[in-house]
Amino acid sequence: MIRLIPGFGAGTAKVAEPEGRIRLTLLGGYLGSGKTTWLRHQLHAGTFGRVHVVVNEAAEIPVDDALLGGAAGLTVLAGGCVCCTGRGDLVAALRDLCDQRSSVADSGARIERIVLETSGLADPAPIVAALRADPILARHIVIGEIVVAVDAAHGLAQLSDDPLGRRQVEAADRLILTKLDAVGAEAIARLQLALRSLNPGATLSAAVMGSWMALPEVPPGTQPPTLPLLPDGDAEPLLPVRLSLGPEPDWAALGVWLSALLHARGDQIVRVKGVVQTPAGRLLLQTVRRVVQPPEILPAGEDRGGLDNGIVVIGRGFQPQALHASFRHFLNPTVP
Amino acid sequence: MCASCGYPAAPGHWTEAGAATAPDRLRARFRRAQVLKAMLQGSGLVAHDGGLVPGIQLATLSGNQTIVPDLEQVWIAAEEMTGRVIDPLDPRFWGGDG
Repeated sequence: MIRLIPGFGAGTAKVAEPEGRIRLTLLGGYLGSGKTTWLRHQLHAGTFGRVHVVVNEAAEIPVDDALLGGAAGLTVLAGGCVCCTGRGDLVAALRDLCDQRSSVADSGARIERIVLETSGLADPAPIVAALRADPILARHIVIGEIVVAVDAAHGLAQLSDDPLGRRQVEAADRLILTKLDAVGAEAIARLQLALRSLNPGATLSAAVMGSWMALPEVPPGTQPPTLPLLPDGDAEPLLPVRLSLGPEPDWAALGVWLSALLHARGDQIVRVKGVVQTPAGRLLLQTVRRVVQPPEILPAGEDRGGLDNGIVVIGRGFQPQALHASFRHFLNPTVP
Repeated sequence: MCASCGYPAAPGHWTEAGAATAPDRLRARFRRAQVLKAMLQGSGLVAHDGGLVPGIQLATLSGNQTIVPDLEQVWIAAEEMTGRVIDPLDPRFWGGDG
């Protein structure tokens, strides 16, 4: 049956959309950061609905799968990290899943979500890029959220001496502090400040053994920890720059400007997030490094915190005033 | 999309998400061409999108031409054709000193 799809060619995707794409939650975090514990609790609580869990373990012997009952299905990819050596296995496993899902006639019985738990060695950005680059997965899967677990006890040490820990935090939409019961209030406050400086765009929450708990307030006057420069890491801290699109955003001009910016400076721009009102609806714009996720159509009229019609560019190595000036120049309605 | 069954819809380039109807899409293409022209100014490249055929046409002043499907490919082709990256933060665009 040929079906006319609203916004055809637009690369749009929303929850329960007619195209029937499945949402994928990418769960990352350093080795031992509490990813599996958090996921096990969420599965038990039914947070994800009918979910298929894909677990990647860099070690040859899988351990985590024994802990994850409660999922509708489980795939274990052992013996290679899916962000590098095991990328082919991941794509094959996800293609299989999409095949299986498409063969279920009753849409009410299909799995609703995939949770991909990466190994502690994985950088989320290449995984997102691999999923977007695969012609089959790009049509079947929409990456909903990147969740990264951070160990409250060891997180600061990992961020201080491992560039991988920083890359994981920088890629997150949502950071979850785990093992809060194991450390003092001051250490939690300092870690919160470090995470905020590394990824100002992510939401921060806390969990103990997977159960949500309130994030402790940062006492006024707490000094943010100084993260040292890493030999093979990035020298400068990330900088968030908010750019306003005005009451009538020019999506076409934004597309030209942002696509050029990501091509020229994709190594420096770590994240872009924003909500833009267009004739096609309210679009959620998200990028991870050079990869732009298909803009999702958000429900109308739910502007939380006045974020509509603005984008936040998070990156390093550029001058904020240059970004502002260039943005003003090209998104000026009188261009050229 | 599959010519036999119409499924799944090919996800277009993200920059095309802002228009859902044919008139909006055409308007967006013209606007895109306008801004593209401004950004390619001084690079030795000319972009053209008349709205009739799919794709964006790029040409150098010496006659080298190509047609690309979307903006991402524009910047890749522009780099190949001119030998340098077109950077929107280049001070020549906004009159800064870098």
